[in-house]
Amino acid sequence: MPSLMEKLSKRWIVDRATLNQARFEDLQYVEDPELLDFLSIYFANVITKLGKKLQFRQRTIATAIVFLRRFYLKNSYCETDPFMVISACCYLAAKAEESPVHIKVIVAESRALFNQDTYSVKAFNTDNGKVAEMEFYLVDDLECDLVVFHPYRTLLSLCKKEPSGDPSSEEGEAEDVGAGIGLDDGPRYWGTGEGQLEFTPAAFQTAWSIINDTYRSQLCLLYPPHLIAIAAIYLTFILHPPTRPDNAQSSANENAADPFPEQPAPRRSSRQAHHTQSQSASPKKPQDPITFLSELNVSLSLVATIAQEIISLYTLWDQYKEDASPDATKAARELTNSPSPIKRSGSAHASTSGGATPGAEESLDSEGNYITTAYLSSVVQKLRESRLIDISPMGRPVAVNKRLERTQAVG
Amino acid sequence: MLDEWSTSILHHDPMQLYRSKRDQNHRSVSSKYNILGFISSGTYGRVYKAQSLEDDGTIHAIKKFKPDKEGDVITYTGISQSAIREIALNREINHENIVALKEVILEDKSIYMVFEYAEHDFLQVIHHHSQTLRAPISQGVLKSMVYQLINGLIYLHSCHILHRDLKPANILITARGVIKIGDLGLARLIYEPLQPLFAGDKVVVTIWYRAPELLMGAKHYTKAIDCWAVGCVMAELVSLRPIFKGEEAKLDSKKNVPFQRDQLLKIFEVIGTPEEKDWPGVVDMPEYQSMKRLDHFTNRLYEWFNSRLRNSNGYDLLRLLFLYDPEARLTAKDALHHKWFQEDPKPTWKYVPPYFLSPSR
Repeated sequence: MPSLMEKLSKRWIVDRATLNQARFEDLQYVEDPELLDFLSIYFANVITKLGKKLQFRQRTIATAIVFLRRFYLKNSYCETDPFMVISACCYLAAKAEESPVHIKVIVAESRALFNQDTYSVKAFNTDNGKVAEMEFYLVDDLECDLVVFHPYRTLLSLCKKEPSGDPSSEEGEAEDVGAGIGLDDGPRYWGTGEGQLEFTPAAFQTAWSIINDTYRSQLCLLYPPHLIAIAAIYLTFILHPPTRPDNAQSSANENAADPFPEQPAPRRSSRQAHHTQSQSASPKKPQDPITFLSELNVSLSLVATIAQEIISLYTLWDQYKEDASPDATKAARELTNSPSPIKRSGSAHASTSGGATPGAEESLDSEGNYITTAYLSSVVQKLRESRLIDISPMGRPVAVNKRLERTQAVG
Repeated sequence: MLDEWSTSILHHDPMQLYRSKRDQNHRSVSSKYNILGFISSGTYGRVYKAQSLEDDGTIHAIKKFKPDKEGDVITYTGISQSAIREIALNREINHENIVALKEVILEDKSIYMVFEYAEHDFLQVIHHHSQTLRAPISQGVLKSMVYQLINGLIYLHSCHILHRDLKPANILITARGVIKIGDLGLARLIYEPLQPLFAGDKVVVTIWYRAPELLMGAKHYTKAIDCWAVGCVMAELVSLRPIFKGEEAKLDSKKNVPFQRDQLLKIFEVIGTPEEKDWPGVVDMPEYQSMKRLDHFTNRLYEWFNSRLRNSNGYDLLRLLFLYDPEARLTAKDALHHKWFQEDPKPTWKYVPPYFLSPSR
């Protein structure tokens, strides 16, 4: 019999067909189905932005995104106001992660953000009551599952950063809270894997960032968090090949892992990698990543599939241009081997016929290569308007009873 | 081509389509339960006894959270942190010695949490013995109550949950004698918290059951605070009155947490003033200087216990639950394996003779 925890961790994992079914209505109102994948990135970006303004920790942002994904497993974008849902998700996630923020603050920050041109939400004029009401419905749709497990936990329990690492970073959160709390009580997902992975601080950061990035996709609905973490670790091995004390090809490694020497971050990281490498010229036997992964007692082909999906996400993300500098890590570029974004024809999404698409003109940058935030905002607006036109009681030839019609239409 | 209807929805009530769909499928509390009576009330709201109109008319306890009001108008003001905790944690756990949450109904701006029903609680059992029977709880029943309480606590702690409000009123007992820990409104998950625990709630645990490290202003605390509370509950079951019945110093107007002088004195009077050799961390406690100004007491727990229950193993268990050093204090797991539970009279396990219990609530 599966344990309670196993059942719980699978409760919100669905297959691809279910995921597609959830978008069935929305699909009728977009020209190109790929736009819905871009919307996945878009909504996660909006939450991340709002979360940063609210000074959320990364895990709270991740929880808010998971709430949104689960909510839209049961509902259509076109029949809701995604911005209202986003506000409620952030409000609820803050409480679920024990770092509550007053509803007034959530509403004020939401207004300030959503009324910006890029989101073209015409007067997001919600009030505390509406967001609080949405929270009620949200808790109901989430079936009261408010504790969300994230891949970060698996990463932390599988990896120990090398002692040279800075103890006051990410991991510090867990260590800071006194005895009897933390990782020593054992991870909840599995009991195998005695050995821990040794990551340089830079490699650990890469794995952490890749996990952050997975929230731009719907992966959290398709695979359990521990497998997503292992896929992120697997990709990290590709980007940061484990160093070997007897290996003279360190400089080659450094170059391979660092195709953007003009960026300060990777330079620092590879230097650190180099540093720890010379430091760890100890009798300790070098760690073999393949062995490590194979000892985890998980399906490696599944891990490879997830890794492939993460790479696909980066390919898609490369065509998306945030107004600010994108959050996409260097990992994106390195994994997709695409220093310059892929050219898009632009025809599919430029031909938005009918309806109000105020952002359409600005949807392409000067080179016409990118999907922009403003464009996706117009897509969302169009989804909602088209849906309303379709079911509007006034659009019908015979409107006997408006209320009845409306009820039938939505029912 | 937006018509008036669509424009209105888009601008004034953007969630209307969603809401009407949802409201249509909603099944109301009254369509599912028949309210039989009132059980208790608190700051959170009220608890009712209710019969399910489905599954064979099972009895439940429905906790209705007070809706928030602005003047006379009931409004949505957001779900309280306490309700969120109770909902969230109850979904993750499942144990015989924890009150089970059957469902949550959100209706008319109120939250209804439907729990399994338990006829009694520890407070009633204590009152019944002290007022009506005028006799101590028999040792077999006492052991069973403490044992099952610890058993439930082990489960919570293994799920990385601190209860933070264990007290007789929150520990329920069914007619068949099964102990159920209830009220997770102050409980929280301590697995990799994003903020230190003290940052969230300034005051945890009802004053009489509050561990010394909390009273001394500790910034970090652990599962050991629940184990202290178990000690207090056990002592109360033995003597039929709270062992450390101090007066709570209230928060001042600036919401500063005051020094709980009286509560600490009540503890010191029984188990002595803490010494550095027993509790090395005591010198680092924020209230250490205030504590040093209090009168000095010696430990007389043995006399306290022996005059009420002549049993050295029982005394030993209580002594270990009342160790000052949180690191040294008995864990729930170790408490369960204490020899007091192995010796005669053995725990009566689930059977608590009905005459021990008060009329059901």
